[in-house]
Amino acid sequence: MIGFKEALTKQPVPCFIEKASDVEQLIYTEDCKNNLSVYLHKPEVRQAKKIGILANISTLRALVQLISENQFWDIELTVLTVNDLGEVLLFDTLEAVEAYVQANFPNYTEEEIKLLGYLESLSREERWKYWTDQFANCIKCYACRAVCPMCYCPQCTVECNQPQWIKLSAQTTGNLEWHTMRAMHLAGRCINCGECGRICPVGIPVHLLTVRMNQDLFKEFGTRSGYALKGDYALNNFKPDDKEGFIK
Amino acid sequence: MQSMSDFEPKIVAFVCNWCTYAGADLAGTSRTQYAPSVRIVRFPCTGRIDFMLLMKAFENGADGIIVSGCHPNDCHYTSGNFHARRRWIVFRSLLDFIGFDTDRITFSWVSAAEGKKWATLVNEVTEHIQAKGPFTDLDKLDFIQLKEQYDEAITK
Amino acid sequence: MEITTITSENIPTFFNNLVKSGKVVVAPVLKQSGKVFFEPVQSYDQVSTDYIQTAFSAKSVVFPKVEELFSYVRKEGDFTITSHLTEVPETIIWGLRPCDSSAFNYLTDFFLKENPDAYYKTRKERTTLIAVSCAKADAACFCTSVGLNPGSTTGCDILLTVMGDIYYAEISTEKGKAILDPTLFIDSPEKSKDEYLAKVETKFSMDQIKERIENAYESTEWKHESMGCFGCGACAFSCPTCTCFDIQDEGNTESGKRLRCWDACGLGQFTKHASGHNPRPNQTARRRQRLMHKFKYSVENLGIISCVGCGRCIRVCPAHLNIFENILNVTKA
Repeated sequence: MIGFKEALTKQPVPCFIEKASDVEQLIYTEDCKNNLSVYLHKPEVRQAKKIGILANISTLRALVQLISENQFWDIELTVLTVNDLGEVLLFDTLEAVEAYVQANFPNYTEEEIKLLGYLESLSREERWKYWTDQFANCIKCYACRAVCPMCYCPQCTVECNQPQWIKLSAQTTGNLEWHTMRAMHLAGRCINCGECGRICPVGIPVHLLTVRMNQDLFKEFGTRSGYALKGDYALNNFKPDDKEGFIK
Repeated sequence: MQSMSDFEPKIVAFVCNWCTYAGADLAGTSRTQYAPSVRIVRFPCTGRIDFMLLMKAFENGADGIIVSGCHPNDCHYTSGNFHARRRWIVFRSLLDFIGFDTDRITFSWVSAAEGKKWATLVNEVTEHIQAKGPFTDLDKLDFIQLKEQYDEAITK
Repeated sequence: MEITTITSENIPTFFNNLVKSGKVVVAPVLKQSGKVFFEPVQSYDQVSTDYIQTAFSAKSVVFPKVEELFSYVRKEGDFTITSHLTEVPETIIWGLRPCDSSAFNYLTDFFLKENPDAYYKTRKERTTLIAVSCAKADAACFCTSVGLNPGSTTGCDILLTVMGDIYYAEISTEKGKAILDPTLFIDSPEKSKDEYLAKVETKFSMDQIKERIENAYESTEWKHESMGCFGCGACAFSCPTCTCFDIQDEGNTESGKRLRCWDACGLGQFTKHASGHNPRPNQTARRRQRLMHKFKYSVENLGIISCVGCGRCIRVCPAHLNIFENILNVTKA
């Protein structure tokens, strides 16, 4: 059972319950923001085969997306959530999870909308300055990748060193490459939990890149991530009459 | 600092083998004169073009990029160019969001019979990039020494 | 140890004079994200004083996140190799916490004891450390458990303690004496700092840990304690004593450079061999390595424990993993 407990520092931390007697430790508050679905990729967790997960709305959306990507073929998942009224809901089927997500589909947060609005108001050069200043601080810790439930590749592109596709050193140009590549690999798959931006140790709003990608994809192709179990990934499909205005 | 008329832009062209490359070949065999600024990189299909290659071309000294392939419905591999089109729409939007100058990248459909179109395209792009000047956005981005950080802090 | 005081009013003057002296002054700055980082500053107005701990340590002054070891360029068939080491500027780090300055002792031992590292040596020689003792602490701080305290003078050149409207300065080295301004600092008798220091509760007894950690490697608790870890490098990079690095060559046959960059033992590929074998194949093994290194292996190798109790790893961890909680659980009797 993956849920939250209270740490010695009083924050909610992810916890892993293996014995029924430990269930007393579980808590659920507004601060339980971690996207626990990321742990479902961990071999130590998957070994259990029967896994329960206490999910907030972003995690539920992540589960729908991961199921649409066929990621849970070998485990039996039991999903619980706590709704706005504080009631604990147990989902009988995955279709029930899908229905709940569609009924409670989360909007972009005020902060995201505000920051995106600010960035869109800047000129191209100002935006470049903003992002290169941000990426100058990046230390390539890969916490954004580690915490993302959609980043589950056993070998990440960064780890390819024949040739070294993305520079390992934490210099601005290499950092730019890394974040651009990551945003593209997640475009249309990111479920907007905002964890990557929240946990970045140097405070870069990394989540904005994929939030913007999702907005664009919805505008251009009408697709949404984490919405349906069947899934509709924009970059896997095409329409012969896709519109664009920039190809000569 | 080179004057605008001296500046010879380096244009890297990512093209598909069956259409645009053949079109460029036709321009050559027809002895069409066009700007010598382009360096052509041949791919089996535009669908194979990894978006990171565009960024890496700029990092390695390109001033402008052309990405060109078969017209929709004419792809040698049926649907490669359709996937590429979607990818370009998304990537272009991302680049614009991070402030990258997407004006330096030109996308086009050039078929094997369009030798003239290829020559015109290269000429137009060369002129366009010449007017814009060399690509310097990625220069001086990488700080290595504390002194440079400090100097930068003083000039802010 | 020389003891002097300076009025709080004069601190900005002292600080700004240090900047004017031509040295690079690195101090804690509050960024837009709400986090405090060490950065080069121009004047005292930029310095943040109302925080408990910076997000990242100041080790990047002596051990930068990316360091160019040398660069090469081919000209007329021959190669020229250049090193920029001589350009390292004289630097003053202001606002370290006592735990951080103690960490510099570990860094010096690590880089200079057995095979002296020229890059670290040059940078450290040109760096002066001014620490400010802690008036506040939070739940993640545990310096008192590892033999330190919020007013410790270990490792720094000058330690400042805020006592009402004066700053009490303890100068431990010649370097510290050299930057003092005799017109602003007045000699003072020794005073007790206790009432001005934060109270940090001990979380464990170091002696007990030292004894029990001998057998901790085989503990079955490691798996549970490291379940939350997803293998990013945040803890290692924010840690003032983590020194692991990777050497990367960037360039081609015409020109290029060799870089030393930060690396983290928590990252999955850290111990992967060219053969494909990975002796630490799962996160449990990697997390165990990190903790054992901090509390046991560094004691065996260099004689000092490499954890200084600053708590940064706890604050920065996306899964809120807690190093002292983990250590307590794996060394339970």
